[in-house]
Formats: sequence, C-alpha cells, structure tokens
Amino acid sequence: MKILIAEDEKILNESMVSYLSGSGYVCESVFTYSAALEKIDNYAYDCIVLDIMLPGGTGLQLLKYLKEDRKTDGVIIISAKDGLEDKLSGFKLGADDYLTKPFHLSELSMRIEAIIRRRNFNGQSVITAGNIEVDIQSKTMLANKKNVDLTQKEFQLLLYLLINKNRILSKNAIARHLWGDDMDYADNYDFIYTHIKNLRRKIISAGGDDCIRSVYAMGYKLQTP
Amino acid sequence: MKLSAKYNRINIAATIAVFILGSVCYYFVLRYVLIHQLDQSLHSEQQEISQYVNAHGILPEIENTKEQKTSFAPVAVLPAKPIAKSVQLYNDLEKENELCRQYIFPLKAGNKDYTVTVTKSQEETEDLIQIIILITILMVALVLLVNFIINRKVLSRLWNPFYTTVNYIKGYHLSGSEGLHLEKTDLDEFSLLNESLNQMSLRAHNDYTVLKKFTENAAHEMQTPLAVIRSKTEVMMQGAELKESSMQHLKEIEDAALKLGKLHQSLLLLAKLENNQFVPGEKVDLKKIITEKINEKQDLFQARHLILQTSLEEVTVSFHTHLAEILITNLLNNALRYTPAGGQVMITLTGDALVITNTAFNDALDKSSIFQRFYKPENSPEGTGLGLAIVKEICVTAGFSIDYFYADKEHIFVIKFKSIY
Repeated sequence: MKILIAEDEKILNESMVSYLSGSGYVCESVFTYSAALEKIDNYAYDCIVLDIMLPGGTGLQLLKYLKEDRKTDGVIIISAKDGLEDKLSGFKLGADDYLTKPFHLSELSMRIEAIIRRRNFNGQSVITAGNIEVDIQSKTMLANKKNVDLTQKEFQLLLYLLINKNRILSKNAIARHLWGDDMDYADNYDFIYTHIKNLRRKIISAGGDDCIRSVYAMGYKLQTP
Repeated sequence: MKLSAKYNRINIAATIAVFILGSVCYYFVLRYVLIHQLDQSLHSEQQEISQYVNAHGILPEIENTKEQKTSFAPVAVLPAKPIAKSVQLYNDLEKENELCRQYIFPLKAGNKDYTVTVTKSQEETEDLIQIIILITILMVALVLLVNFIINRKVLSRLWNPFYTTVNYIKGYHLSGSEGLHLEKTDLDEFSLLNESLNQMSLRAHNDYTVLKKFTENAAHEMQTPLAVIRSKTEVMMQGAELKESSMQHLKEIEDAALKLGKLHQSLLLLAKLENNQFVPGEKVDLKKIITEKINEKQDLFQARHLILQTSLEEVTVSFHTHLAEILITNLLNNALRYTPAGGQVMITLTGDALVITNTAFNDALDKSSIFQRFYKPENSPEGTGLGLAIVKEICVTAGFSIDYFYADKEHIFVIKFKSIY
C-alpha cells in the first residue's frame, strides 16, 4: 500500500510517515506543490494525504488536477482551515475524506484504511487478529468462529483498535473517534472503560483471544499474538 | 417623525407666524393710513369753516348730512390745540351706536369763542379694513394649502432616491458582494450620499476580508504546531514500554494540547460570529438536529446516569445549520458537564422557544456573568468557559433571545426564537 503525504510542516509530515509506516504502509513525503505534482504525475498511490496550504499552490488545485487526469488515487484532505467552504469544495472536487488539523494519527490511519478498502472493490473486507474476525461490510464479528453480537459503538471501538493494532490509543482519541470532535466531556472517561469492559466480556465468553490491553494512564491497545 | 413632516410642520408654523405678524402690522398701518385720510378730510372741513368765519365773521349755516355732522359750542376758554378722536355715538337713523371720528377745534367768531366739532362716521373705514383683512386671511390660507400640497408631492418624489438607497443597504451584507453599487441620482446630495456609502462599504468589505483572512491564517498557523504536538505525543506513546510516569506526562501533554485546540477553535468561532461571517437565513429543522445530537450523546448521558427527558415539537426556524448544531451541542455538553450524576435534564422545544433544564450542583449562577467568556463558577468541573459565550453570540447572530433562570435547584436556559428587535 503506497501513500503520498503532501504536507509542508516537516515535523508533522515526519510523524505521519512514522505512524503510518508502522501500520505497514509505504509512505513518501513531499513538502511542496511542485514536488507533489511531480510524484502524482509519475506514480500511482493508493491514497494521497493532501494538505490544503502548500508552498507554491493549494491541495485543492492538486485534487482538481488529479481528477481531471482521471487518476484513481484516493485522496484525504487535511487542513487547519475549519472553513466549511474548503470542506465542501474539497468534497465537490472529489476528495474521499476531510480531516481538520489537529487530528489523532490513529484517526488518520483509520480514515486511510477506509478509503483504501472502498477503492479496492475486490479487496477483502475481513480483518483478523488472533481468532477474532471482523467483517467490515456486513458489520459482523466472529470470535473463535462464533458470532458475537456487538452494539454499534462496540463495533466501532473494536474496528478502531483492530486497524490501529499494536498501537496505544489514548482515551482522548477513542472518545473523539466514537463521539465526534465536538466531544467535550474530557473530565471522566469511565464510559469508555464500560464499553471496553463489555467488549472484552463478549469476546472472552465466546472463546476469543483476550487481546485488548489497558495501558496505564493512557488508554488501550489491541495486542496481536 | 418623517423629515418631510417635520419640515412641513416648521414651514407651516413659520409661515403662519409671519403671516399673523404681517397681518397685525398690516392692520395697524392700514388703519393708520385710513384714519389719517379721514382726519385730512376733517381738517379740510375745518379750513373751510375757518375761511368762512374769517370772511363773514359769523358761524356758517351747517347742513348736517348722514356722513358728516358739525356742531358749535360756545366756550369760556379756548382749547389750545385741535383734538382728533374716535368715539361711539348714537346714530338716530340706524338706532345703534356707531364709531365716529371727531375733530374738535377752537374757533373765534366775532367776539365769541367756540369749539367746533366735526363728526364723520368711521364705520366705512372699519368695514374696509375688515374686508381687506378677510381677503388677506383667505390668501394666507390658500398660500399655506398650496405650499403644503406642493411640499407633500414634491418632497416625497425628491426623497425617492433616498428610499432606494436605504432599501439597497438593508439587503446588503458584508460577507456577500464586494461593496455597494449605488447609482448616481440627478440630485447632488443623494449622489454624494451614494458615493460615500459605496466607498465606505468598499472599505468595510476590504477590512472584513482582511480580518477574515487573518482569522483563517491565524487558525492555520496555530493549528499546525498543535497538530505537531499531538502527533508527536502519539508517536512517542507508541515507543516501546514507556515508564508509567512518562505515560502520565504524555497524557497530560495530550490533554493540554486538546484543550488548547478546543479553546482556539472556540475563540475563532467567536471571532467569526462577531465578524458576522455567518448569515442566518436557511430553514433549519430544530427537532431533527436536537434528536441527532441527543442520539450521538446518548451513551454519555447513560454513563453519567442522567435522566434525559424530551418534549419536542416540529419547529423550523430561519437559522444557520452549522450554527444550530454548535448551539445544540454546546447546550447538551453544558448539561452533561454541569448536571450531578443521577440528575435530570429536560429539553423542551415549542414553536417559540427552546428550554433546557438541568439539576444544579450548587446554587443559582450569576445571571449577569454567566454568558461572559471564561466565566467559571466556583467548585464546578473544568470546561473551556466559552460554551455559553458561544451560545449567547449565536443567539445574537440569529436574532434569538436567551435567558437564564434558577428555580427548584434547577438551571433553566430559555431561548426564544421570536426576534428581539
């Protein structure tokens, strides 16, 4: 899976590469409009992470160019501009997703995964970890080959953990992924604990691998054997 | 009061005052002239009599007529000067008193002294004055009427360009087109007004654009380092087997970065609201938005064991979808944050108001400062302190009114959709 990251802020670009490489993606970094254009012209990517403000041009211009050239690369726009217009024009030009800075890398990883899955129609929609299988399309889950009934939130939580497997997800990141960015209730994340507890209970009682670990002070991770 | 009405009022009052003053002067001048004329004729009578007496040495035979009477009265001492005066005298013919002008002068006839009184009726003079005054008053009334009608018709036509301009300005919004484009009129004053307005709106629009650009750029410039901090903490977090204390530090850094991001977003939103960057005017289905937001936060209400009751009517208001979402989200977050566990939250939506009631931790909040930025009551859970300020500002933008009450250990927020203007 090849990903192009067009972001002029070097440190941020580096962080994204570092995190996404760890998830098994091959990442290439560019920092300017012209460099991005050159890469797009010469190579095909599964997903392009596009910052709106680039030295020498805008991400939206690149997006327009991509679509006019009938490239099939998936595009996720990242921008510090919370402007609704940018978001709308981004989607209008054919972007697959839009993330407002700052964001959690785990969230970016999740969105990229979703874009790639949507684009590869013949790609498998089942993700596994140990004896746990999650079918994203039918939204079902098997643990030890047994069907496990999950609530919508539990399913979202499990998928988030699975896609970012072996990564620590902070409670902040989980809360924002499940309840949206306007989630403001940061004093107490007990309700996440409740969901995790229920999820683990269901997996264990079906005979699945108990692979969700809690990490002191920070959050949770799904550890694959 | 309309300018034309005010102008008319002043104009008419001044005209009437001038005419009254003029009429009074006119009356006295006219009267003086006419009486002077009467006196002249009486004086010539005196001369005739004097001449006769000088020539003949005896008093003339006087034939009194209806208009003029002459009488002689012998006196012991002659008066020094002749006297002219107006007196009421009884008229035998018409059986009534009438105003007469008398001229009394001394006369020596032979050796005897006389005073001669020549009397002429003044009625005709008075009649003449009356008729002249009447005609004058009628003329004044006519002039006033014509003036009034002309002012009304002409002024309202003259002011047409003004109303055109006003209507244009009413429909103008800074965030919309680039400045006003008011046309020239054939009146210099209105052309000047239009031109000044055009220039002013252009300047305002430019300032607005600069400010808008600035806030957007500021957002970009600040969010980027924040994004760096967050991504770095996230990457660090994955670093194999961190010490527990390091984890705690990292978590605190992440919390602070999140809070800073939230604060920054909120302040930016407030700035945008104050710059009127949102133009309400979309039809917004409030019930739908409230239901959606409640569903999103259902878990959170449950986690805190809050009892959520709703009574929602179908309500569509002229608003802004994005702002409506922020408004509802902030109010719900507020209720979530400031209701003690096990407390009650009640949301009522009717045709003219949205009421959110929640059980209070403490006593009533300070009504005057609750909507101020960074207001944080004592002993309350930590928030950004901007939620209600944003709610208030959104209400102002939408033309809603918001009020806070405290009753029976409950905080009550009432938003009335009826425009407060």
